[in-house]
Amino acid sequence: MFKELDPILHSQLRLAVMSLLMSVKEAEFTFIREKTNSTAGNLSVQVQKLKESGYIDVNKQFKDNYPLTTCKVTPKGIEAFENYVKALQEYLQVGK
Amino acid sequence: MMSTSDKDFSPAESLQLIRSMIETTKTSISDKSHFFLLWGWATLVGCLLQYYLSVIANYPRHYYAWFVTPVALLLHFIFIHKYKKEDRVKTFIGEAMGFIWFIIGISYLALAIVFSKIGWQYCFPFYILLYGIGTYISGSLLKCKPMKIGGGICLVLVAIAPFLHYSLQMLLAAFAILISYIIPGHLLRNQYRKQKI
Repeated sequence: MFKELDPILHSQLRLAVMSLLMSVKEAEFTFIREKTNSTAGNLSVQVQKLKESGYIDVNKQFKDNYPLTTCKVTPKGIEAFENYVKALQEYLQVGK
Repeated sequence: MMSTSDKDFSPAESLQLIRSMIETTKTSISDKSHFFLLWGWATLVGCLLQYYLSVIANYPRHYYAWFVTPVALLLHFIFIHKYKKEDRVKTFIGEAMGFIWFIIGISYLALAIVFSKIGWQYCFPFYILLYGIGTYISGSLLKCKPMKIGGGICLVLVAIAPFLHYSLQMLLAAFAILISYIIPGHLLRNQYRKQKI
């Protein structure tokens, strides 16, 4: 019996954001947008979904009079990501 | 453009996406080699200038060569300000490097106070030891083998230093800086530039 893939993570952009944040301590919104090659509007929506799921923390502040948004993964997000990767590996093992 | 659609998003594609994002981040980490090069060149100038003033020019106040330190410190803070805007991502390695060099910087100052009290004749082995510790750990964190090897060689130079005359210790410290800061610093810079292309 397969584990069900986490629907929050099984989406290209959200998975890309989580993969990126897993390998850093925190990243600015503009950096994530650039690396995921997404639009600001689309990314905002997906970041909000990850935040509502408790997978990431979003911090909004001002730097030199410009708004600055930074994101970082939470312990719950790390656990979810690890479980997602384990589930993916199970799928791929059987597919071989 | 990345979509949010889940259609035809297979487990293999998921793993491929995870891999490519991690790879992207790895090559986007900001270049910190300018700090190694700044302190490397400043210390090399300090050592060689002190050697010149002391041995060749016979100038009694040869320690004036170390006025290079406040100049380097000023440039250090200018660099921090300049590169702050480019730092759009914080990494665990970057944070660890910050802690290590902060405490090593404080150790340099603390030792300067100690040596100003007890005399500077054995200062170089201690300073070379700090270069070695700092660059060995940095080289390990940054996976920069030349820096790690340079740091390791510094520890050997520490053991050699007490057997040499003070003036030769200056040249030994200059050599230590060359192999642990300057050469690895330039290699690191080239590596980052290649990644950026």
